[in-house]
Amino acid sequence: MPTEFKINARPVTVDVPDDTPLLWVIRDDLGYTGTKFGCGIGLCGACTVHVNGRATRSCITPVKDVANSVVTTIEGLAEKGHPLLETWVEAQTPQCGYCQPGQIMQAAAMLRDFPAPTDEQINQVMSGNLCRCMAYVRIREAIRMAARRMQAGSARPQEADHA
Amino acid sequence: MSKGWYLAIALLVILAVVLALAVWQPSIPAADLAKRHSFSPELVERGKVLAGIGNCETCHTITADKPYAGGVEFPSPFGSLYSTNISPHPEDGIGRWPREAFVRAMREGVSREGAHLYPAFPYTHYKNITDEDLDALYAYFMTREPVAHTPPSNNLSFPFNLRFLQWGWKLLFFDPDPWQPDPGRSEQWNRGAYLAKGLGHCSACHTPRNFMQAEKKNRAYAGALVDNWYATALDESQPVPVHWDTDSLYQYLRSGTSNYHGVAVGSMGEVVHRGLRQAPDSDIRALASYMESLSADRRNTGNPRQLAAETITAAQQRAHSEHGAGEALYVSACASCHYNDPQHPLAARAELSLNSAVTADDPTNLLRVVIEGVGTGAGTPILVMPGFSTLSDENLVELADFLRRRSNLPPWKNLQQRIGELRELHRQSQHSATGKAGE
Amino acid sequence: MLKYLTGKNSAGADELASPGRRGFIVGMAGAALTLAFARSPLSLANPDKAVAEGAFDPTVWYWIEPDGRVVVNIAKAEMGQHIGTALARIVADELEADWDQVELRYVDSDPKWGYMVTGGSWSVWQSFDQLSRAGAAGRSVLIEAGAKELGVKPEQCRARAGRVIAGNRSISYADLVRGGGISRSFTDEELKQMPIKPPSERRIIGGQTRALDIPGKVDGSTLYGLDARVDGMVYGRPIMPPTRYGSAVSSIDDSAAREIPGYRQTITLEDPSGTVPGWAMVIADSFHAANQAVERVAVKWSPGKTTGVHEQAVLDHGRKLIDAADQGVLVRDAGEVDQAFSDAAEILESEYITHGVLHFQLEPVNALALEKDGRWEIHTGNQWQSLIIPVLAKALQVPEDRIVMRTYLLGGGFGRRLNGDYAVPAALAAKAVGRPVKMVLTREDDALFDSIRSPSVQKIRMAFDGDGKITAMEHHATAGWPTQVMAPGFMADGINGKYDPFSIQGALHWYTMDGHRVRAISNDLANDTFRPGWLRSVGSGWVNWALESAMDEAAHKAGEDPIEFRLRRLKAQGINAGSAPNSVGGASRQANVLRRVRELSGWGGELPADTALGVATSYGQERNMPTWTACVARVRVDRDSGRPTVEKLFVVTDAGTIVHPDGARAQVEGAALWGLSMALHEGTTLRNGNVVDTNLNTYTPLRMRDVPDIDMEFVDSTETAVGLGEPATTVVGPAIANAIFAAVGVRMREIPIRPEAIRAELQRNQKA
Repeated sequence: MPTEFKINARPVTVDVPDDTPLLWVIRDDLGYTGTKFGCGIGLCGACTVHVNGRATRSCITPVKDVANSVVTTIEGLAEKGHPLLETWVEAQTPQCGYCQPGQIMQAAAMLRDFPAPTDEQINQVMSGNLCRCMAYVRIREAIRMAARRMQAGSARPQEADHA
Repeated sequence: MSKGWYLAIALLVILAVVLALAVWQPSIPAADLAKRHSFSPELVERGKVLAGIGNCETCHTITADKPYAGGVEFPSPFGSLYSTNISPHPEDGIGRWPREAFVRAMREGVSREGAHLYPAFPYTHYKNITDEDLDALYAYFMTREPVAHTPPSNNLSFPFNLRFLQWGWKLLFFDPDPWQPDPGRSEQWNRGAYLAKGLGHCSACHTPRNFMQAEKKNRAYAGALVDNWYATALDESQPVPVHWDTDSLYQYLRSGTSNYHGVAVGSMGEVVHRGLRQAPDSDIRALASYMESLSADRRNTGNPRQLAAETITAAQQRAHSEHGAGEALYVSACASCHYNDPQHPLAARAELSLNSAVTADDPTNLLRVVIEGVGTGAGTPILVMPGFSTLSDENLVELADFLRRRSNLPPWKNLQQRIGELRELHRQSQHSATGKAGE
Repeated sequence: MLKYLTGKNSAGADELASPGRRGFIVGMAGAALTLAFARSPLSLANPDKAVAEGAFDPTVWYWIEPDGRVVVNIAKAEMGQHIGTALARIVADELEADWDQVELRYVDSDPKWGYMVTGGSWSVWQSFDQLSRAGAAGRSVLIEAGAKELGVKPEQCRARAGRVIAGNRSISYADLVRGGGISRSFTDEELKQMPIKPPSERRIIGGQTRALDIPGKVDGSTLYGLDARVDGMVYGRPIMPPTRYGSAVSSIDDSAAREIPGYRQTITLEDPSGTVPGWAMVIADSFHAANQAVERVAVKWSPGKTTGVHEQAVLDHGRKLIDAADQGVLVRDAGEVDQAFSDAAEILESEYITHGVLHFQLEPVNALALEKDGRWEIHTGNQWQSLIIPVLAKALQVPEDRIVMRTYLLGGGFGRRLNGDYAVPAALAAKAVGRPVKMVLTREDDALFDSIRSPSVQKIRMAFDGDGKITAMEHHATAGWPTQVMAPGFMADGINGKYDPFSIQGALHWYTMDGHRVRAISNDLANDTFRPGWLRSVGSGWVNWALESAMDEAAHKAGEDPIEFRLRRLKAQGINAGSAPNSVGGASRQANVLRRVRELSGWGGELPADTALGVATSYGQERNMPTWTACVARVRVDRDSGRPTVEKLFVVTDAGTIVHPDGARAQVEGAALWGLSMALHEGTTLRNGNVVDTNLNTYTPLRMRDVPDIDMEFVDSTETAVGLGEPATTVVGPAIANAIFAAVGVRMREIPIRPEAIRAELQRNQKA
């Protein structure tokens, strides 16, 4: 049964079995390989994408469950641009990098709900994303930097132009 | 043989004689098909809204391409019932039912041909519907597309397969008098009560039933397991930390989400997103007003926001002092989406210390959502939750136990067994969904 | 690790070219200026021709495009250490290149790259001198060419940021390359004379420039092995046998799988290399179909003999081996050890246990294999191509030169991908089905197939004389030996036999002791049951845990301050004096990092109840390439639950010259947290011949909420650059255990340290 949804602002129809995990549809059928396979049971966060703006673990989400949704992957976020992508580079966060798209997608969703997250909030929300290189210190730092930047940006939108 | 038995046999004999006379209901002659389109569009439109409030579609539609053609299975301890075709198809549906037959079915639970209907069809509530509303419903159904489809026959075990016994059931449990408005209450409340008790048939799911499948009058809205979803308690026994008030009830019935209780999925998701979607705001507010009165003696002591904040903070502190397997699973699997700032719990981050799936006396809703996940088909677009069926039974027990501890509640009993049953349910639904037209 | 790679017993040793051995050539290849080591003296005569024909030794080379981009070939595996950046930085610094114009190119396997392996934290160490000279040669050629263009003498020019500058005039490297006609060679002698800049003149090395591999890792464009795809490929997913070795498939029934859309077949792998005995593999059009089929295909095996092996059996076997004096290999036997023990006034003897650790690199192992025009391509991320290519050749029954490993970035290495065994089943499957097969292991498969860090048993004995002085130490360590199993050519010579150097490293400490005996013992039951692996810091991860715990026990026994106790024994004299170039300063540098961490951590200050500091130190992995490391952990113990909370880690490292300071910090952060994770959060055991924990539902590596503050410092040094990826891993565990003892008086001798164990000890103490 074909399933329709939007991915990175592009409407797609995929004709795969309904219970195919979204992850493999994204990677193999749609070619967005930035989303990674880590544990396959929804406990590492490497496969995190946005479904209708919410962080979702795609490895255990059947494709039929996102019918008529808007799915965004790291490629989509990068295309649109996001302060996290800048601060992630500035903080030199990634080591092997494999978990980072998932980390960034989770962080981007978090900043919608917690625009000025405390360290406790960052720890609680981001602990679902495993970083095997243990780049946690920098992940936290990059999130703090992005939150500050976004707060400043929304409070004084003109300032950047004059700086 | 004891005296009691002789008495019972004597009674049965008398009963049989009475049955023969009383059970019988006349068949109502089939109507002329030519009259089908003589309804005003306004009437049909009103009927559409009412059919939504009654959520007729959920029980009478098995696939989207066969609206109202019946065939939905209702399993029971006595076997399965299948809903009937209520599209206006002349042979398979109710196309040849005159208004009189429609009204009799709705109010008395008797088919056009004179057969007693099972109370899975909630005529026990529909009896409360006014003539005007029945007219609108009749107009609506008679103007649907006729669908040729014969649902499977019921396969109830003996003696439940004897329809005439339903007459006895009615004698015991059915009061045919319609509900009367309470002049001491507001107009809004009365409107809500009318909708809830009649077309909405809310207590059909939210009230526990006795062994004969009749609602227990003394436990109205005390919560019940229906169709493998748990309809939560709405009476004073409701175990939620923040009690349902009119605002949260309105928010929930209108949008399917409540910041302090969770999100409507499963059967209730269908009620909200398929059924009540068409209802005007005034009706939703009326329903909220009535529902709120069900637990009027146990209203929130403080303001809900404060209560919620205290509850969440306490839960977070309890979690903080744990370090077991359940807590580790919660941190890995749940917290990234469900962790909340105690001051601002968000509906989309369903706060688990407040959530009725966690606080309910029955684990079904929590387990089903964890195992099956929630798709866009459930109706709340911002809510897509993956299913964690890949976790082991042991993991699910650890997680459920942790969530109960986190909410300062005793553990659920028989979790292992329930998990097994719900896994099997999930497996079957996945299996039957393969190749089937999906949502 | 390098010591053994360059040793006489190493098959590939002479592939590691000594710098400038055959001269250096610079010439135009097409429009680009290519700079490379010459393959033969003949090349030096005609550098242009040599470059055009590729007749140069490409162990190290780079080229400059006409637009000024400097492209540096990287023959090392990138797995998070930003190795390409570190190596390119060395070239760019001497070349005086513009860092913004530097690019990396990760190369496929080829004999021309020499021995291909990335591990042991020695990539930078190994390449520093070569790369510096290569960069300097390029600079001197460009200065000559620039001087000519500017009409001045080369001595009047200097190079900066990709330009040759004379006074207020300058010309870019790009313009010089576009001008063409640069051709030059350097003899071996000339290259040796090449003026390498003094450390004070370094502009890129040690600077805060950004890693070149990071942007692609952030926007999702970087390709890992899992992202490899070719037309016509099918998926393979193995069905794992009940034992790692010795199982054989007796039947396969796939009747229940045939209705799955996309399912093709299930094959038994015939493996002449013996790498994956008893493997069946499901072949399907999609990974999802393969996964569904695996659930439904019924495979029967005749299992190997280790099917009943439990953790306890492996540990008990280890104890038995330690107790048998004739087992194992003596690695050091200095002084009169036996005499010291028989004369001892007191003997301290402790046993230390570590349990298995999964690599759990986040990208499960995978490989895409295909045959094209008689050549086999293996697309996968790998750390040791030169080890696995001969195995692949045997498995596929083709010559080695018919196999190329296509390079991808690694979604975590940590030593897992030193063992390239996962490439074999993909290749065998592709051969069997006659089309490209992409084999992907699920996480559970990956854990079962992992070459885990072996469980270990160690016994340390210390003899004290009447004055409380340590007169001798014995260190007996047994574990599964990865090198013995996978790369026996790299075994080292001990006093009475060959041993796995990686499984005992860390034991040859720099503490002054009269008598010192170190015995390494291979646990054959471990080797038979699973394939032991190299895991971040390898043996130092368990050896230093025992050593530094024992040193702490000894200090407490002597009633001395644990840092002072160690410092008194770190004397740069005798065998601990150190030597040029790698261990200049010897034990004094280890003493220095200990003193620095004492200061940094506020050692000796007041702390709340049940909270204390613990210390541990290490020379990293090899005496030949020491990375001096010291750590203090501040730990609080909850007496009710036994739960230890690591509040802060202080780490001081002396790794000589720091090429990439920010990357170095990242490596030490990661390594320290690995140490913490292994000490408190990870750990698995064997049951029925396999690891019990196969996924995150029961295997629980450190997550963000348990990450403590880390305060770290590097010793400012211009000594030889040594490795950084692993040493901090080795000190955190013992520092935590020592802090727990200081906090609540219980001694933990088993890793992972579980709250239940601490609580049980606390209760025992209370009763006593």
